[in-house]
Amino acid sequence: MATTATINISSNIAPGFAGISESMTLTQAGTLTDIDSTTGFQQRKLSATTPKDLVTMASELVEPKDASVEVPGDGSAKTNAAPKIFIRNIGYQGVIDKSVGVTIGINSEPIGKLFGGDWMMMPLTGIDADDVTATPATDDTVVLEYVMFYEEA
Amino acid sequence: MATTTAAVTLSSDLLSDNMSVNASTTCMKAGTTADGLDQMEYGYVDIATGDQFDLIGATPTAGKASKLYLKNHSTDETYYIRIMIDAQDIGRLYGGDWMFIPADFHDGNADVEITAIGGTNKICYALFHEGITLVAS
Repeated sequence: MATTATINISSNIAPGFAGISESMTLTQAGTLTDIDSTTGFQQRKLSATTPKDLVTMASELVEPKDASVEVPGDGSAKTNAAPKIFIRNIGYQGVIDKSVGVTIGINSEPIGKLFGGDWMMMPLTGIDADDVTATPATDDTVVLEYVMFYEEA
Repeated sequence: MATTTAAVTLSSDLLSDNMSVNASTTCMKAGTTADGLDQMEYGYVDIATGDQFDLIGATPTAGKASKLYLKNHSTDETYYIRIMIDAQDIGRLYGGDWMFIPADFHDGNADVEITAIGGTNKICYALFHEGITLVAS
């Protein structure tokens, strides 16, 4: 069966927009071989505005393979990898607050804010410095669910 | 109200029992519960190897609730695009891969930058947002 992800987007913003429905099979970088490792599905409860690591790359029990480059700013590959992470803000104790968000970042660079009920799926590098961080906007308790898929180094 | 809904189904057999996750969200303006994202940009571009490009020409207002969908439609699985934000490597989308993120665009440097590797990559993208700064003619 492998690991698959399907997205469906519908919107009535633009007249005639027919929506988006796309699937992908998570594979090892540059191949058709299925991705082979996962952190499993996890939860993290946050109750303060201090940044926390959701994923600390250097501390994973199975070292993720890196998508690294020879020269910073250059696209030439040194090692190839195609890790991905799914994250969802599930609120707290059944209450999903659309007005409160958690900023997800990579190596301190903000990617964007997941408000209550929002989810995201994005590629990662797997590089030790490129931890996945979560920074709530308020002290209100919020729970994130996440799972990372990757290749073993 | 403008309504944009994004749903995902994720399944995997990597664990001893099958894992399946279903999630759906209605994309709202930042910090609101009654007002949905009401503007969008939808495109399909070929990106030649070599240069790095900003995917979104006119940057949405910083700190809003923009959502970005991006798929690499290249049919060669060795082709990929390198994605960076503010000079930070985010990851790679190989042929067939997609991503969906809340895009913060927190300052003028925080554009979504892409570089094609391997050959000309075919990229489809959709940005749902609540306002952009248009480029004056």
